[in-house]
Formats: sequence, structure tokens, C-alpha cells
Amino acid sequence: MRRITVLIATLAVAVSAVSAQATAAFADRPALLTSIGQSADLEMVKVLLGRAKIQFASDPLVKAAGLPAGARTLILSVGGSSKGLGAAGISTDEEMARSKALIKRARELGMKIIVIHVGGEARRGTLSDAFIEVCVPAGDLVIVVADGDKDGIFEKLAAPTRIPVIKVAKITAAGAPLAAAFK
Amino acid sequence: MKKVIIASLLIAVTAVLATSQNPVNLYGRAAVGAKGVVAAAKPEASQVGIDILKKGGNAVDAAVATAFALGVLEPNASGVGGGGFMIIKLAKMKEAVVIDFREMAPAAATADMYKYGDDGKVIGNASVVGGLASGVPGEVAGLLYALDNFGSRKLKRDAILAPAIAWAEKGIPVTVNLAIIIRDELGKINTFPATAKIYTKDGLPYELGDSIKNPDYAGTLRLIAKGGVDAIYKGEMAEKIAKAVRDAGGIMTAADLASYQVKVRKPITGSYRDYSIISTPPASSGGTHVIQILNILENFDMAKYGDGTPGADHLWIEALRLAFADRGKYMADADFVKVPLAGLTSKAYAKELAAKIVMGKAMGSATADDPTRFESGSTTSFAVMDKDGNMVAVTKSINYFFGSGVVVPGTGIIMNDHMDDFALKPGSIQSIEPGKRPLSSMTPTLVLDPAGKPFMAVGSPGATRIIAAVAQTISNVIDHKMSIQEAIMAPRLFAMASGTVQLEGRTSVNTVKALEALGHTVNVRADWDSYFGGVHAVVFNRATNMLEGGADPRRDGQAAGF
Repeated sequence: MRRITVLIATLAVAVSAVSAQATAAFADRPALLTSIGQSADLEMVKVLLGRAKIQFASDPLVKAAGLPAGARTLILSVGGSSKGLGAAGISTDEEMARSKALIKRARELGMKIIVIHVGGEARRGTLSDAFIEVCVPAGDLVIVVADGDKDGIFEKLAAPTRIPVIKVAKITAAGAPLAAAFK
Repeated sequence: MKKVIIASLLIAVTAVLATSQNPVNLYGRAAVGAKGVVAAAKPEASQVGIDILKKGGNAVDAAVATAFALGVLEPNASGVGGGGFMIIKLAKMKEAVVIDFREMAPAAATADMYKYGDDGKVIGNASVVGGLASGVPGEVAGLLYALDNFGSRKLKRDAILAPAIAWAEKGIPVTVNLAIIIRDELGKINTFPATAKIYTKDGLPYELGDSIKNPDYAGTLRLIAKGGVDAIYKGEMAEKIAKAVRDAGGIMTAADLASYQVKVRKPITGSYRDYSIISTPPASSGGTHVIQILNILENFDMAKYGDGTPGADHLWIEALRLAFADRGKYMADADFVKVPLAGLTSKAYAKELAAKIVMGKAMGSATADDPTRFESGSTTSFAVMDKDGNMVAVTKSINYFFGSGVVVPGTGIIMNDHMDDFALKPGSIQSIEPGKRPLSSMTPTLVLDPAGKPFMAVGSPGATRIIAAVAQTISNVIDHKMSIQEAIMAPRLFAMASGTVQLEGRTSVNTVKALEALGHTVNVRADWDSYFGGVHAVVFNRATNMLEGGADPRRDGQAAGF
């Protein structure tokens, strides 16, 4: 039984790694990181980017009109938080409007978009799902910590336009595919 | 091969999912014991208390050991850098006592010490994050005062602290609850390198299944075991704490620590349907308002209304609104301000307030009345009761999760951010003054049955929601005859003097609709929402002659007994 467990774990890690490598580097630097939903998950993505030595700026509330001219890739840390929205002093509707306008403008500017969800199952639910539905179809790549995709919502939203979805077992494992996405 | 890989991945993912539900389970939270029961926010902490009882310690010994262990096992909620309240009634004591070890404002604190930006918020969130957020901690002074004056003296201080030291060295399990809290507070944690060093893996959060060691905190606890109160409040450690706070923008000095005072207070008392309520007086508002709310509800037949019905929930909402209106106007540290305690807890005053409640219509908002006419004269909570009738309830805190975020380098101590509990501008009775204690809602409470015998020890974390959580739990047991575990698990609600009513997700849809029809604006939250606190309580069941502990699945609660 122990052997089987080890085998399964090894294979699972291997699958993550294979998936990560399967996506060719497509994103240019520098990147701009923002939050979609104002959860604290942005902090984790910051650490992952820092570890991967990817040059980035972070602005959780950046608006379409405020997209820096030099930014080539937009990273969306998706996850809704009532507490975060409250602390930022914005409503869900305002955040949704900002998100849609931001994605639209990024596309107009030819930016690549990476969607990342590192909050796991705890960062799902009505609020988060509304933001996930807006972000995923707009992404060039989706990275998700696996227990956040129990119901397959990310794969379902990505399937129509064949957006690659990379699932990783743990937050720490999200760094590798994120780094691999950058040229 | 492809199929095998997919299957393997699915199995691996399923394994992760199977252990990441929140709450993890709803069963097995309660415990029954003939000799003693401890109900705390972590199973390991409850067991620490039981082990002390088994070694011959009394309920206070067990409570102090559990308290120090919680500082290790639930580091986001309480610890040496915080403060709290303990209520004790040993069988041989005629009257209960409250040990107030709430933080004090440093001597250099002023009513206008926080500066506001154009957005109306405190600049840099300084009342919550960083050194300026910290009051002078009282935990060690309070716990050791209790041990020295009410402990059995059969066990030495080092034996009481040993389990906490062992857990700090061995490492604590990262549960779903703790993992989520660390993720949510990662920004604050990573702001301070000494904090990030303990509570992150190179900046990323610990995850489910990991364990967190804190050898520096073990060292601090060893110093306390050896040197007692002076190990923290005098000499090198006091200098270290003050320096860390000042380095993070604060104003605390070693002299502030040296002058910290534990206050031993007379509890606030009242009754509810012939049961005696003995609770925490100012600097906590909690006990007073629990009694006030129960006094208001005593004017209604709550048992007849039933649990969770529109009528019952409407009464709870209106009673909470009336109590919180008074809280805003009258409550503060009674050492600095005259608080009309007798009026606020008077049955006659409650009757006048009850008369303001209209069953067919929501009041929307309440304004403070005049209790003086009746004058005559973020946290963890746990409860301990033993076979001899000794009762202890403790609520203690560093305020928001991970407090101010400041860890004193080399000590593992997380400093509190309880300065945020003051009114942050001048002109309020709750404004900051040097040496004053910020207003608290912590409500460790004891209940005696109609014969005057020990019945219940109860308390909760949850900021202002503590008051509602404790009152609702008491009512559930007394009015609705629930077991203590059922009373804890029942859906809760919360309302302030005005604003939206918060309902837990399991509230009946019919009740939600009926409350809206009455004119209440409601927000339905998650099914099991830690927003509503985490009640831990022990009840003496006279029918079975057994102690029954209840613990809250909204957090990591688990009772233990023997």
C-alpha cells in the first residue's frame, strides 16, 4: 500500500511538472500583478513571482486607464473576499466593473494574461466564482491549486477556447509553471 | 499509461480535498467526564488541561496550563503578547472573582495618537498593524496571578508550563482553520521578518498537514517557568519587548511593562429565569450586556417562540440593538469613567427597553436610553469544570489574527493590537488615556442553577459578536433545553445598534424571509461562520451527575474529559 501511495504521489507531481513544461514560454516581461476580488491571495502570488525572479509591479486596484505603458503581461490573482473588498472600500459590482474593463484594455494593448488561483477550496463560493467566470475565459494560461477546482469550474470555463489549465497540488508548486510561462 | 496518470492525479487531488473541508467535521467535538472537562479551541489544549487535572491540579491549574498551551497551539489568537480575563469560582469560594489582565495603554499614549488620512482611515492602518497598535500585555501577569492565588499549589510552575513548551518545540499541526488564517494574514506576517521566519515557509504560507515549530517561544516560556512574572516585565525581556515595539513604530517602554497591573475585580451579576449569571465587568463590556440582553428577553416567553423562528430571531435582533446602543454611550474602563453598571443590568430598566420592541415591525436602529435612573449604588475562550464544583472560564486575545504582526525577535512573542479597541479619536469616553484599558467584549461567564449550584462555564472569541454568542448559548440551554453541544452548534445571529443583521447560513429560509418582511435588512453568511465566534463551554448535568463539554466546529474546538 505504501508503495502504491508513493507511486501515486510521484505520478501526481510528475503530471504537474509535465503540464508545467508543456506550456511553452509565451509571456513577456515586465508583468503587472493585480487582484481580482481583493483576496489576500495576492500576497502569495507576490512571493511566487519574487522567488521566480520575474520582474513585476503590483497594484491590487489598478484600473484600465492606469495600466502602465511598459507592462507586457497581466497576472490576475483571482479570489473574492468580502473582507478585502470592504478594506479597499469598493463594492462587488465596482470590482467586477474594474475587472472587466481592465481585461478588455489589456487585450486591446496586446498584453498576455495569466490567471492564477492559489486560494484552494477555501477561496471558492459565490463571490469568488463570479470573478473566476470573468477571468478564466480571458486568460492565456490558468494556474490553479488543485483543491480549488474540485468541481472542474476552471477546466469548464477554459475548454471552449482551449486555454491551458495547469493544476498543482500545493501553493509552493505554482511557482514553477508561473516561471515557465515567461520568456 | 495516460489513464493511469489521470487516475493517479485524481486520487491525489481527492486525497487533498478529503481533508480540506471546513469545518472538518461536526462530530466528536463534545466530551463527557465524571471528574473533569476542559473545552478549548484546540483538542491538544483541552488535553493539556485534562492531564493537569489527572495529576492532581485543580481547575485553575488546568486553566493556566491550557491558557499557556493555547498561546502555542493557536498563536493567531492569543499569547504572551496579549491579554484577557479569567473568571474563577472554586467550590470553597463564596463569591467568584474576575482577574482582569487586559492590556493597558502605554504612558506616552494620547487620545490623538493616530493620524487620519483624507480617506477617513487611520494612516498606515497603524491602530492594527505595527508597534503603535500594541498595548502593554497582561497575559503572563494575569495567568501567574491566578496560579499563585487560586491554584492548588500541588503542581509547580514549571509543570504547568511544560506542555506548552513541549508543543512549541515539537511543532503544532497546521489545520484547515490555521492554514486559512495564515493565508489571509500573509501580507501582515511578511511585513515583519521575525514573524515571517516563524509562520511562513520563506514567505509562503504553511499548508494543511505541515507543522510549525517555535523554539524561541519555548525559550520564553522556560524563562517564565523559572523566573515568573519578572521574566517578562522586568530586565532584559522587558527591554527586548519595548525595543521591538518601538522599532515597529510604537511608543512602549520597559517602564510601561514594569508598571503593568493585574486588576482583581468583583464580577457583574444578574439572573435569567432563576439561573444566576456571573460574568466579566469593565474593562469588558461583555458581561454587563449579556446580562442586559438576557434581562430584556426574560420579558418574553422564548421557549414558546421556539429556536430560530422569526419571532425569536426578531426579539434577539431588537435586544442586541438596544444593548449595543447603550454600549456605545456608556461603556468604558470603569477605572477611568463612571459606568452605570447597576442600571444597565437592572430588571426594571430591561423591562422599559423590552417595551420598545414591537413584534410586527423592525426598529431599524436603536438609540441609547438612560440607565442611570436605575442606578442604586479576534481571541480564544475556554472553560474548565471539575467534579468538586470548581469553575473557570477564560477569554484571552491578541485582538486581530496575529495581532499587530510584530514578533519580538528571538522570543517568539506576537504583540497584540488591542489599542484598536479604543475610540481612536478624542472626545469619547472610550478615547485613549495613558494606563487606560481599551474597551473589550470578552465575556467569560459562569452560570449557577436555580439551587445555586455550579451549572455552566462559557465564553467565546469573536469581538463584539462574543456578547451575542454567549447570550444565545445560555438561552439555548435554558430556554430550549439543548445540550451544550447543540446549543453551540445552533445557527447564530448578530446585530449592532443599527445596520444590517448578520444571519448564519443555516438559518431557515422562512425565518430569513419573515425577518425581511418585518423590515430587517439581513445578510446571510456562510453555514458555519467563524464570524459568529467560537463558544467553548462546560455544563454540569445533574441528571447524570456528569460534566459535559461542548466545543465549536466554526473553529478547531474540541472538548476533553475524564
